[in-house]
Order: sequence, then structure tokens, then C-alpha cells
Amino acid sequence: MFRNNYDNDSVTYSPTGRLFQVEYALEAIKQGSAAVGLVSKKDVVLVALKRNAEELGSYQKKLIKVDDHMGIALAGLAPDARVLSNFLRKQAMNSKMIFNRPLLTSKAVYSIADKAQENTQSYGSRPYGVGLLVAGYDESGAHLYEFQPSGSVLEYFGAAIGARSQAARTYLERNLETIRETESPEELIVHGLNALRDTLPQDVELTYRNTSVSIVGKETKYTIYDDEDVQQWLDKLDSVSNARNRDDDDDDDENADNEQQDNQQDQQQEGGDSNNNEDRMETDE
Amino acid sequence: MTSIGTGYDLSASTYSPDGRIFQVEYANKAVENSGTAIGLRVKDGIVLAVEKLIHSKLLVPDSNRRIQTIDRSVGMASSGLLADGRQIANRARDESYSYRDVYKESPPLKELVQRMGLYVQAYTLYSSVRPFGCSTILGAIDKSGPVLYIIEPSGVAYGYHGAAVGKGRQLAKTELEKLKLSELTTREAVFEAARIIHLVHDDAKEKEFELEMSWIGAETNGLHLPVPKDLLEEADKKARDALEDYDE
Amino acid sequence: MDHFPTSWGRQRNDAYDAYNTYPLHQRPNPGHDAFADSVQHTQQPIVTGTSVLAIVYKDGIMMAADTLASYGSLARFKSIQRLHSVGTSTVIGASGDMSDFQYLQSILDELIISEFTEGDKHELGPEEIHEYLSRVMYGRRSKMNPLWNSLLVGGKKDGKRFLAYVDLLGTTYTASTLATGYGAYIALPLLRTAVEGRENDLTEEEARKILEESMRVLYYRDARSLDKYQIAIVNDEGVTISEPQKLVTSWGFAEGIRGYGAQTQ
Repeated sequence: MFRNNYDNDSVTYSPTGRLFQVEYALEAIKQGSAAVGLVSKKDVVLVALKRNAEELGSYQKKLIKVDDHMGIALAGLAPDARVLSNFLRKQAMNSKMIFNRPLLTSKAVYSIADKAQENTQSYGSRPYGVGLLVAGYDESGAHLYEFQPSGSVLEYFGAAIGARSQAARTYLERNLETIRETESPEELIVHGLNALRDTLPQDVELTYRNTSVSIVGKETKYTIYDDEDVQQWLDKLDSVSNARNRDDDDDDDENADNEQQDNQQDQQQEGGDSNNNEDRMETDE
Repeated sequence: MTSIGTGYDLSASTYSPDGRIFQVEYANKAVENSGTAIGLRVKDGIVLAVEKLIHSKLLVPDSNRRIQTIDRSVGMASSGLLADGRQIANRARDESYSYRDVYKESPPLKELVQRMGLYVQAYTLYSSVRPFGCSTILGAIDKSGPVLYIIEPSGVAYGYHGAAVGKGRQLAKTELEKLKLSELTTREAVFEAARIIHLVHDDAKEKEFELEMSWIGAETNGLHLPVPKDLLEEADKKARDALEDYDE
Repeated sequence: MDHFPTSWGRQRNDAYDAYNTYPLHQRPNPGHDAFADSVQHTQQPIVTGTSVLAIVYKDGIMMAADTLASYGSLARFKSIQRLHSVGTSTVIGASGDMSDFQYLQSILDELIISEFTEGDKHELGPEEIHEYLSRVMYGRRSKMNPLWNSLLVGGKKDGKRFLAYVDLLGTTYTASTLATGYGAYIALPLLRTAVEGRENDLTEEEARKILEESMRVLYYRDARSLDKYQIAIVNDEGVTISEPQKLVTSWGFAEGIRGYGAQTQ
């Protein structure tokens, strides 16, 4: 098998200037189940699909509260996310202690980005293996950021990370205008769940057990809905299974392509646009 | 590339037999592939501009800024690994702070750049770290007037009248050379910078991009600030129109 | 192992290793004993400023302080500015130790620069500056090494006026009229009578008059004060600190006071 010499640590550039270890860390995100975030003028919603390792086991937590005005969704290595969320909580408490003001979402997310960057530049440590969606409502309004182990941070109106998240992004792109104009928090959550539903594998449905919902906004402190509390939101959906699995003649080519790959392997599905992705992480966007 | 597979290109602490440090050269590759950033040092100020590539329409416009502020009147635009750029900016702020702590005034840019050069260079010495994957343009107005520098991944730092890094640097440099930089006003330079960024952007190959600009001059009271929205839009539009004429 | 032979022939130290039983390579460095001379912290202010006054009025807040820094009872420096703007919407005024105040000014300036360079458009307002200062003051007093000041913090941000006090103990409170030092005894009752209940009606002119009158009373009674003072205003336009101005006073009455004028008996 071809052996790549340039991918053993994060202090070695490939001849084309790439950092493979960092790119592999980004792959770790895709091993995790999907999380979706979206913003209207007043609210931010995070929804996520939970997994359980075995039938009798509990589901892995996907949403973590940071402060009354901020929360995160994770995809990838959950323990890494806990380290980062603990750090975020500390930052948030510091801001309250020192300035008596809620931590700005941008400050929060850049603080972990800078922390993550250090792990991409020294031998003997690995980059974090988790992607985060950070949602916050602060004095400059509602914000959603995507954090990556490369140390890159981008602000989005809608974002999705984790397995088969491309499908959710497609949904968000198509419905961007309505999402932006949405006044009601309920509608925003429904849009979030619709997007999440599109990432489902063939034989899985959204249930109150495997779905987490959270919202933060002008009038709402960061609230997580889990277990039975999720049912009220699922009841608002027209269906809890993936549209593409319900209806085979999807008119959209891009989607159809995705579907095929989906059914083959989660990994490869996103491999399709992975070049794209790597480019964007590693360079300038 | 002849270097590949020789084993001399795996660490910043290794020379090749002909005396090159390949890891530093590879770090430059990371810069050469990413969005262009330029800086103009003109008669009475500095203008920085970057080509911010937009890969998704879900991104929030005008957010995700790539030009950073180091001190009241020091700005920085970088090209390459963005996270590395933030690291360099944070260090530059710390250096500014430590200088102020001792001398009770902000450092001249030359001093700041020298210190940053040492910092960046240190990452080319050891096998336990990698060189920075970004080139940095630093611009300021200090006691000596407008000043502009580039710091490269090797730690090398030179002063410039017009600076360009990233993918479109060759074309940008050619354009910069045509200008009479020392006669332009800062306001005029905003339009020139916008034009150059639009010119070097390859529509055919690239995704969308957003023009981001900042300036330092009399109009900003010597502060490093983003170019005001209306001026930015005016310059952006003018650059687009000029490009269409150019194409015809 | 310590490879410097010069550090081998160390004197016996009773605090540790009283019987010289430590093997050579484990011996602590024979550095000098940090506690030999004991540790001293600030016990009193040295060069001091006297009262600061501040009131809330219709359009914002107004603050006044004279320009004297005394060395004990000596009027040592006669044009020291004791009002300092922090960012674009806050002003602080200091009484107490002037070098501690200068230190506070420099950490606040750094704070403002670091906020500016963040580039997130957020600016620290008076409430946040006050909270920060109270953390600094309380932190230092908890180390038994206080910054010897009483500070007034005032400002206006997003249409909201703010005025508060913090001192060397970390004590904080807020009111529409505040004064530090001697002014808290002499001027505060005057300010309260003039301002309380009229915070939303007082014009800039009236507010200025109230402060000027109080500064005059203080100059008559406070032996550490000066007839040169500055006024800081924070309103919707931002912070303005005036040039030093002179108080008009008349000392004619003093002629009749025994021990002051030209009495013969």
C-alpha cells in the first residue's frame, strides 16, 4: 500500500503545503453523527442526532450548555468537546466575574480556535478531533459559528457538521431566505429538524430518543430539549424519516448523487466534496 | 519535485545536501495557494485589502474578517493558514504590549516587525514545531509616517511600498509597480486596491469572493479601521465596472 | 545535579538540612532567602489627590476634581490631571495615591487597546469598566497590598447614564451624587440637596454651577485642595474633559479672623 510520509504528525507539511494530520482530524468530525445549526434574526437553533453504542446503552450527549446565552453542538470525539466546553464555560464565567457582561459569542469561539491552533503546530500533541457549532445570543444579536480542529472559525446563517451533513446543508441553502425571515422560534426548530432529517440513513427515523433540540434567543435562555420533551417538536414534522428514502424519484441531481453515496458509505459521501473542504479549512476562507 | 522521498524534507530542523530547508519551502506553498492579500503604502496612509474566497452562501456576509488589528494604528492582513495568522496576530499584540509596558508608547512598526521576524524564524529551527503557513502584511502609521512590511514563513521581513502575498501576488505586484504609490492619497489607494484585488481574482477557476479592506490615515485619525461601508461599496462597484471594460 | 562547584560549599541552613544530610545533588539552590527582610506592602498613600465630585444630570454625568497632588501637607504638584477618559463613554476620577492612579490608568489604557484590537465592535462601557476596576481593587486588597485610591466611575452608553464608586477596599456603590475624600463630608450634602430628584431636569449649565459651587466650598475648607480644577462631561457626544479653570474666591472675610489677618492682639 502506498505510504504517505507526510501524514504522521502535525509538524510536517506535504510538498504542496498541506497538513495531513489536521485534515485527518477534520475527518474525525465526519465519523460523528450530524448536528445542525441555524439562525433567524432573533434566535439560534441547534439540533443533533444522537447515537447509542448498543441497544441497552445510553445515547451520547450532543448538545452542551455553556452559559444562559450560549451553547454548543458537537460532532466527532465527545471527550475533546468536553475539554473545549469546559474551557468555554470558564471563559464565560470569567467574563461575568470581571466585566459583569455575558461573553461575546465571537470572543468565545475565537478563544477555543486559538487553543486548537496550538495543537496543529507542535510535535507530540494531536489536533482536537471534534467540530463544534457554537450558538449564542449576545448584545450584537444572534450568532452561529462553526469551529474546526484546524483552528478555523466561520460565522454562518446555517451550518451542519458530522455524518452526511451535506444533505442538511443542501436543505439549509434551499431554505435560507425563509429561515432568515422566520419570526417564530418554533418554525426555526422545525426547519432545523427538517435539515437533520435529511441526514438520516435509510433505516433510521427521528425519535425523541435519538434527537436533541436546543434554542437560544432574544427572549429565550439557552434551553436543551431531550428525551420526552423532544416529542412536541417531532409532532410538528410532516415525517420523521428521510425524504429521499420515502420518495425515490428525487428531482435534484446533486441530491440523488448524495443518496447513492450515502447508501454505500458515510465516509465516501463526504469524500466527494472533501477536496473542497480541505481547501477551505487549510487556506483562507 | 526531487526532494520528495529523500527524507530531507520531513523536518524544519533538517537541511538537504544542497543546503535547503524544504519544510520552510513547503510552508510557502500553503501561502501560494490561498486568497490574495495586498498592502499599499501611499503618501499619507496605508490601505490593506484581501480577496476573501466564499465557499458557501450560508456564510454571513461581512463577517469572518481576515484583516486584523494589532495596535491602535497597526493593521495586519495575512494569506495562508488562517489559524496561523491569528496566532501571529496574537503574538504581535503581545509584543506591542510588552514594548508599551517598558517605553509607555507603541512600538515603531520596524521594531515590532523585527521582533515578529525573530518569533517566526524560531519556528524554522526545531523539529518539534512547524514553520508558520502564512505570510503576513503589516501596515502602520508610526513616527516615521506610513510603513509597510511583509513577514514570510522563513522569518524574513522586508519593507515595501506595495506588498502582495497569496495566489495572485505576481499579477498584483505588476499592477502595484505601475502605480505612483508615493503620490497617491489614502482615499485614492482604496480604489486602486479594490481594482487590483478584482483583477487578480480568477473568475473562471475560483469561487465567489468578498472584498475586505482596511485603512489607516488622516480620515481615521491614525487608527486602523475597516474601510467604511459606503466607500467600500463604491470602490467595489468601480472595480467591477473597470474590469468589465478591461475584458472588452 | 548541580554542576557548578561554586554552589557546593554552601553554609548550613537550619531551615532545611540542619545536619547536612542531603546528598549534594539534591540540595536546594543556595539562593538568597526571600523572606530574610520580610515583605512590605503599601501602608499609606504618598503623593495624594483630594476629593472628586460627580453628579448625574439630564444629558449624562459630570465630574470635577482639582489639579493638585499633595506630598503630605505640601502642595507638591499643582497641575496633575485626576480625571481620565477610558474608551469613548467612560470617565474615571481618582483621589488618593497618584502613582497608584497612574498605574490604574495604564492598565485601563491597555484594556481599551486590547478591546479595540479584538475588532468585534464591542466597546467597554462605564458599567463594565467599573466592574473591572472593582475586581482589580478587591483583588489587590485581598493580597493585603491595596491600590490606595477612591475612584468615581461615570459614563453614558446606549442612552444609559451610570455613576459609581469604588475604593481601595473594593467597596462599591452607586448613587446620583457621589464624592470621595473630604468632599464626602463637605460637598456631598450640598450635591444631594441640589441634585436628588432633579436628575432628569438639570441642564448642563445648572449641573456645572452645582459642581463649581461645591468645589468652591471645598477650596475654602479643605487644606489639601487647590483653586484650579477640571470638569469632565460624558453625554451622547462622548467624553470631554475641560481645560483647568480657576475658582473665583474672596478671602476678605479672613481679615477679621484672629491669627490670619493683620490683628494686633
